[in-house]
Amino acid sequence: MNKELEHSFVEQLEKHQNIVHKVCRLYTNNQDAHNDLFQEITIQLWRAFPKFRGDAKFSTWMYRVGLNTAITLYRKSKRRVSTQDFDAIQFKIKADEYDDTEEEQLKLLYKAVHQLNDIEKALVFLYLEDKNYREISETMGISEVNARVKMNRVKNKLRTILNP
Amino acid sequence: MDELELLKKDWKKDDTARYPKLSYNDIYSMILKKSSSIVKWIFIISMLEFVFWLAFATILKATRNSDKITSMESSTLFIVLSVISYSVLGYFFYKFYINYKTINSTDNATILMENILKTRRTVKQYVGFNLAFMVFSIIVMLPYAINHDERTKSLIEKATANGDVFKFYAGMALGVFLVLVVTVGVLLLFYYLVYGILLKRLNRNYKELKKLEI
Repeated sequence: MNKELEHSFVEQLEKHQNIVHKVCRLYTNNQDAHNDLFQEITIQLWRAFPKFRGDAKFSTWMYRVGLNTAITLYRKSKRRVSTQDFDAIQFKIKADEYDDTEEEQLKLLYKAVHQLNDIEKALVFLYLEDKNYREISETMGISEVNARVKMNRVKNKLRTILNP
Repeated sequence: MDELELLKKDWKKDDTARYPKLSYNDIYSMILKKSSSIVKWIFIISMLEFVFWLAFATILKATRNSDKITSMESSTLFIVLSVISYSVLGYFFYKFYINYKTINSTDNATILMENILKTRRTVKQYVGFNLAFMVFSIIVMLPYAINHDERTKSLIEKATANGDVFKFYAGMALGVFLVLVVTVGVLLLFYYLVYGILLKRLNRNYKELKKLEI
């Protein structure tokens, strides 16, 4: 791989790194796991980069590789044991931004999303990223109708988790 | 308000403070590291399986220290079995390589999973073939070995004279059967442990995706 390619890749990833952070946020529960997944997604993105033609947006291309890594390619590391939890560290929501009720609701919502399975999390992620059902179906390799059906099921499941 | 809409509202807020900001150098050092993805492990384990069966055949050949085995090896039957075995190895290895090359992280989630499972299936079929081939070879070669081995022949004659010929054959069949059961059992246990752990999540996610199909 030549230096120019490395430079172009690192520069773009640095700019769009929050997409990877967001994937990691949904699929991991602690800082070490977050770092591990971030690392693996970065490697997979870098490997796929020479074939990236630029006909899609870099960020859109990142969604697919990022989710594929989180759902399929990433082998969860068992060697690290962390006592830190995200709620307590970097993802703490600033208190002045929310009223208490909304903040509490959001905390419960994030907790509920963490209880979903890998595929459901992917659907939620794409939904939160404002992807339409066509894009969701293309990324997941399912029909548009199924993407809709599943998304409704996810919404219902979240409601059940939040209001048992 | 829809729960997900509330979440989306929060998700879209300025997130610069929420995530660690990695520098150019942090990211650059990451691309130099090695992957520990499931595909890498599947590749390593599959290679070990190919090497294992190749080594198994080579070791068997290396033990041909007596004239009787050498004469057996030169028999047409043995040559035919060897040709089949190596041709099949070549075929499966080629198929494995082609399948492995199609694994692409930019495919959609379903296709990626299918390609990984297909690659695994190739190696599984190869191992299955080897097990079946091993059982078949033993069954085919055993009568040949009995008829050409002087010691076995004299043992059979002795057993016939004592009226224990049935006992002799039953004992031999049981012995062969037990060896086969233990060998197959150990390999199945290996499969259950290694792939059970390695592919558990992938299989679960694949089923979940397929469940969506109405």
